[in-house]
Amino acid sequence: MLASLSLRGRDSRALLPALFLLLLLPALAMAVHGLNDRLPMREWPALLAPHTLPQIIASASLLPRSLAALLCGAALGLAGALFQHVLRNRMAAPETVGTAGGAQLALALTTLFAPSLLDGGRVWVAFGGGLIAVALVFALAWRQKLEPLPLILAGMIVTLYCGALGSALILMNEQYLVSLFVWGSGSLVQNDWSAIRLLAPMLAAGMMACLVLLRPLVLLELGDEAARSLGVPLFALRAAALAVAVFLSTAVISSIGLFGFIGLAGPTLASFAGARTLRQRLLWSPLLAMALLWLTDQTVQQIDRLLGDPLPTGAITALFGAPLILLLLPQMKAHGGLWQGTVSVIRSAAPWRRVILLAMLVLAAAIVALCWGRGPQGWRWIGDLHELTPLLPWRLPRSAAALAAGGLLAAAGMILQRLTANPMASPEVLGITSGAAIGMISMLYIAPSAAGFTHVVAASAGALGVLLVILLLGRRSAFSPDRILLAGIALGALFDALTAVLTANGDPRAVILLNWTMGSTYRVDGAQATLTVGIAVVLLGLTPLISRWLTILPLGDGTSRSLGLSLGRTRLLLLIMTAAMTATATLVIGPLSFIGLMAPHLARMLGLHTVPSQMAGAILSGGLLMLAADWAGRMVLFPFQLPAGLMATLFGAPLVMWLLTRKR
Amino acid sequence: MACGVFVPRAIRTLVLAVCLLLAPGSSLWAAEPARRIVSLDWGLTETLLALGVVPVAVADVPGYRGWVVEPALPEGVVDLGSRFEPNLEQLQQLKPDLILATPYQNPLKPLLEQIAPVETIAIYEEDASGRDSGNHPLERAVAATRHLGSLTDRQSEAEALIADTDALFLAARQRLETAGAEAHRPLYIATSVDERHVWLYARNSLFQDVFERLGLSNAWQAETNFWGFSSAGYDELADAPEARLLLLRPLPSGVEASLARNPLWNALPFVRAQRVALIDPVLMFGTLPASGRFARLLVLTLTGAPL
Repeated sequence: MLASLSLRGRDSRALLPALFLLLLLPALAMAVHGLNDRLPMREWPALLAPHTLPQIIASASLLPRSLAALLCGAALGLAGALFQHVLRNRMAAPETVGTAGGAQLALALTTLFAPSLLDGGRVWVAFGGGLIAVALVFALAWRQKLEPLPLILAGMIVTLYCGALGSALILMNEQYLVSLFVWGSGSLVQNDWSAIRLLAPMLAAGMMACLVLLRPLVLLELGDEAARSLGVPLFALRAAALAVAVFLSTAVISSIGLFGFIGLAGPTLASFAGARTLRQRLLWSPLLAMALLWLTDQTVQQIDRLLGDPLPTGAITALFGAPLILLLLPQMKAHGGLWQGTVSVIRSAAPWRRVILLAMLVLAAAIVALCWGRGPQGWRWIGDLHELTPLLPWRLPRSAAALAAGGLLAAAGMILQRLTANPMASPEVLGITSGAAIGMISMLYIAPSAAGFTHVVAASAGALGVLLVILLLGRRSAFSPDRILLAGIALGALFDALTAVLTANGDPRAVILLNWTMGSTYRVDGAQATLTVGIAVVLLGLTPLISRWLTILPLGDGTSRSLGLSLGRTRLLLLIMTAAMTATATLVIGPLSFIGLMAPHLARMLGLHTVPSQMAGAILSGGLLMLAADWAGRMVLFPFQLPAGLMATLFGAPLVMWLLTRKR
Repeated sequence: MACGVFVPRAIRTLVLAVCLLLAPGSSLWAAEPARRIVSLDWGLTETLLALGVVPVAVADVPGYRGWVVEPALPEGVVDLGSRFEPNLEQLQQLKPDLILATPYQNPLKPLLEQIAPVETIAIYEEDASGRDSGNHPLERAVAATRHLGSLTDRQSEAEALIADTDALFLAARQRLETAGAEAHRPLYIATSVDERHVWLYARNSLFQDVFERLGLSNAWQAETNFWGFSSAGYDELADAPEARLLLLRPLPSGVEASLARNPLWNALPFVRAQRVALIDPVLMFGTLPASGRFARLLVLTLTGAPL
């Protein structure tokens, strides 16, 4: 919509500065007004050598806060422009390559295990963590030559994994890690110039590097083939430019905090306002991002004065950033070919024998989960039914619900991977889990003491909402796989932002929220377990009916059509089914787990290649993983309990990363 | 318990029946004070201990020892894990006959009630209307003490605890009065969140009520949430130049060192005048024992001598 308003040709030269001033002037006015409130204008010359307290506050708090907003905005805008140029993806942003997650995890680990390092070294700890995470993401995407989509998916998985580990640490040490909540949501509050002194030289270095890289980067615009024929070392150039972008974004993250979507908003605004050449984008993206973050922060300060409770600026930027991605989606060019899956023809000699073995394994695990556990007398195997009965109300619903949820997610993942011909698709990526989570959280805050049933309703409404968004977006592009996946990523980010806002003010409910988002089966009672298992039986029972579709769809649109498949209707039905499966599972084990991603691959590794046997294998192994994760989560830190979804992530993410690096 | 397995059921039933018949006013069984009590909240736990009742189990034992400190939790009290997700299996096997909880644990109630009756005691609670209509945790803690006293048949101990705490407030007030104006500067009482943010306790907090009983004034007048605190940056602490800052231990790691280097911190009036004190942990969301402990810590900090 905005794009249609954007002017082309010569007029754009006037539009860019106009937009810049439109953002900058109100911010400047608010900043001057705010400073004047604290320190009358005639005293401003004293800011160079402050003596009185108002002078010191103005010079050590207000000025650096404005400057921090400007520097962060500029660095993130520049990084975003580089990412977008190199990855040829208008959705690339500093956050999508894993820096934030890595930095946050490094800080959490250091706070717990080597607090002395934080004294003066806080910035470098976060910096190191961010760099390691980015290196991991690049390593995972290396085989695909850092192509756009693999890189962003790898970034998302690493970010999720770091986030899961970080959340586990926060859960285990509720009160000590409050400061990470505040940092994680991007506060610009400053008390001195130290962050500025750290950030300014890093930004300057990044800008120098950009100048050096500018000429070869311009050649990238000609396309890979043309650039290569001009002798541009494409791979080295991309790696260098990405390194600069990563450096800039980690610098911001480590010295100030997270402001993810500013890095996306800057370049986006720049191209909407008509920046066409790389030179224009590298100039205007940082300027617009800078003005935007400053304006946001000044507005947040005004709201703070009204509300009393400080809002984290970074989380606010993310709240409007996520819808921005959704707005961008229709303009994305669908990637063709990159993710076309191959249909395997190798078949295991006796697939069903393996499926039956797997089923027996699930049964054995279920018995262990019910009978073996820790209690006041330590580890005990309780085989006697009479003795077991009083414990069953606690063990049975959780185990049964975990098993059913794992199976549902696995089936949903299987459908999605076949549907999109994309081995990295999963319900977590689709965003349905995030939608359910947003619904559930809203209920937790609107009516905190409401009964569990209302949570079920709220989460289903959220999942349905996301489904509708996906259907709307999807219809325009005939359910193009890539767009649906990217919409999912955007919704996931929106959910993260919402969580950050809600947890930053230190409300004790944040812990309940964290527990649930990490997939705790704690609140599952008999009724919910029955419901979950019932829905699972129905939905999973339907899967044999869709085997034919799932076999044909990966062969490509043309083949599918020629075999008599109505593409739009088939995809719609499969999406609805996936959504129902995902929503049911999310209610039990939260929005984050890799079960849906992993289980289909596990089944394939077990030699199950035909659709019906792979589906059965995926459901069984997904259920088994979740059951094991739930049991382990209850036992590892007894009497404290770790959420099942979190445990499944800790088990599963390394496996997923290995899958990513595997040759296709 | 354990020997019960070996006694034939018929004999047990007979003995029980005889006991019931012989017991004077056997209908009193219904009002029998709870024996096996479990407490899921630190504030309720401290009141129970002050009444001389040792709970069978409490939630988050390491947390209690770190954040509440006294009354000391005896060894042998079973840990139930997180206050937000107490371990239900563990709870079940301890066979409690009363579970004490607070409103923030309301979502757990249906689960807990399957194990034993749940008594929800509210000290800090969001107003149903969502408005801040003013809460006085100290008054509610007094009521909670009486309530816990009658639940555990320790009515006289409860009255004694209330009277002792009152007497303690009075003695503390007098000690502060003799200490003069220096001890009556407005106080900021805060928890350090990180090197840029604090939680300041004021209206709706237990600490505010204790300030009022001791004749002290709070330097932080801003709106607070129903837990009685609001979050702020250090620069917002300059509005009361004559104030003193009390920071609750434990501080997050690295904060002390980074504050020492911070020009804004060093320019704050209470820092320049060396009116900053670290005080030992005391439960900010506590009940009567915490209020008494806070009063004693205040006297120690403001006059330099224990009460």
